[in-house]
Amino acid sequence: MILSKHDQRETAAMALIQIEDISVAYGSPPRPVLDGLNLSIEDGEFVCLLGQTGCGKSTLLRLVLGSEKPVGGRVLIDGIEHDQPDRTRGYVPQKYSLFPDRTVLGNITFGPEVAEFSLLNRFTARYFRRRRQFRQEAMQYIRRIGLREADANKYPEQLSGGMQQRVAIAQSLITKPRILLMDEAFSALDSGTRKDMQRLIRQLWRDTGITVLFVTHNTEEALYLGTRVVVLAKETPDRGSHVALDLDVPEPCHTEQIPRLVSRLENASGCVREPEEAALATA
Amino acid sequence: MSFGFQLVHAKPSRTWTVLLSWFLFALGIGLYFQTAQKRHVGNPEDRVMPTISQMARGMYDAALKPAEDDDQPVVENASLAHRFLGSMLWKDTLATSRRFLLSMLLLIPAVVLGLHMGLFPYVGVFFLRFFLFFDKIVALSLLPILFIAFGIDELSKIMLIVIGVTPTIILDTVNLTRGVPNEQIVKAFTLGAHDFDVAYRVVLRQIAPRVLNSLRLNLKSVMLFLFAGEMIASTDGLAYRIALLRRHMGMDVIIPYVLWVALLLFLVDLSMRLLNRKLHPWFHET
Repeated sequence: MILSKHDQRETAAMALIQIEDISVAYGSPPRPVLDGLNLSIEDGEFVCLLGQTGCGKSTLLRLVLGSEKPVGGRVLIDGIEHDQPDRTRGYVPQKYSLFPDRTVLGNITFGPEVAEFSLLNRFTARYFRRRRQFRQEAMQYIRRIGLREADANKYPEQLSGGMQQRVAIAQSLITKPRILLMDEAFSALDSGTRKDMQRLIRQLWRDTGITVLFVTHNTEEALYLGTRVVVLAKETPDRGSHVALDLDVPEPCHTEQIPRLVSRLENASGCVREPEEAALATA
Repeated sequence: MSFGFQLVHAKPSRTWTVLLSWFLFALGIGLYFQTAQKRHVGNPEDRVMPTISQMARGMYDAALKPAEDDDQPVVENASLAHRFLGSMLWKDTLATSRRFLLSMLLLIPAVVLGLHMGLFPYVGVFFLRFFLFFDKIVALSLLPILFIAFGIDELSKIMLIVIGVTPTIILDTVNLTRGVPNEQIVKAFTLGAHDFDVAYRVVLRQIAPRVLNSLRLNLKSVMLFLFAGEMIASTDGLAYRIALLRRHMGMDVIIPYVLWVALLLFLVDLSMRLLNRKLHPWFHET
């Protein structure tokens, strides 16, 4: 058996990300998105959050990020509740992932610079010395993500979508967060570039031992990337999503088995379809 | 229906572009001087439409002769530049530019306030309603109040400009700030930025070119309020001169003055555009 139902983890207090009984609702009258969701993620896991449009997987990511607050429940990172995004959790969104006003180099060195120098400290000689070191370190990352050194002084708009996401990943990793949150990070890329990016992030995950939470609506991508795939789905249209399926993906997941698993997982996530979502899916 | 030629897809050639784009200028100038000539044939003393030679003489007096209220002795064989620097035109330009620059400097705090209002919700709720109301006050209707409150010297004129343009700039900056994608702000926080890092190192940098464009659009309002102030209560300045010469029907100077103001404003706008391109090479107007 290649997949096994994810066993309940007893050592919940030890988990790196602990999501406890989370509820979220939007709009008025409030329409539930997440309903009493529980999930715990261990250090070093590569978790793919899978589900259909509107099932609340991005919402869940934002809760872990701390940019959004739940109606009920709490999210613990290493046992601590965070009320806003900070350095422990890196973030790579699908769009607007780079600062358009900074070059590739400026984007990557942004993290180290703000972490060490406040607004006013920037006008010291030490800042300029340290900045040279930051740049050297950034150049290492540039090589590591497969960019040429000549690209260092380009602005994001001069790069292709794939290159931009590579830089965004380097920008997040240079601050050495424990968790990397990726929200449909490769969804806007063409399939060839996407494959390259998937290989890159797998490689970086293996090298750094970082914990990744990766949101996607692409089942194949989830199976290829994750060590664990969590499917969110709604039981009935008027209730919020919960964890419909929680699977460990054995490593390496053989690519020839993916098509078979895809249909299985898609059945799980499609157990309830809202009318407008069904229309979207067929459109 | 087809006209035999394209409208939307038309591609005017270089020659046509030059010809058509300058046509109205040529027509306007031609019509003016033809009419002026005709009027001068009927009445050589006509002051309403001065001819080229009259305007040239008027401008020569304004730009190269010492200002009339000047106490300095007239130097006969001074250089052209020297004579220009002692002239009425230069003194008026200087006085107006000083007020103009001072008001532009006072718009910088408006940008900073707008940034904070757009980014920090508490600052936003504190100021926004007030400035939305303030924005609707017709600034020129405040002019008498300003003269009473601040006297008729420089302060009231500067205040008029500030009161007239500041709310627009503030509200515009608030909108630009809110237009920055939330991803950018979240991203900055995950990289270790604090609130003020986000404000000044992320958001302000990104909206700067658009703010500069918004200032460019508001140049005309600045000039409008400046001229209103100068025309009503001033003893120097370009608008003061125009208002003064109106009493003498001095069209031979008024028309060149109006063109001079337009030229200056065009140059200010152009230099701001070039500065914007130089400072923000990543920015492309959509």
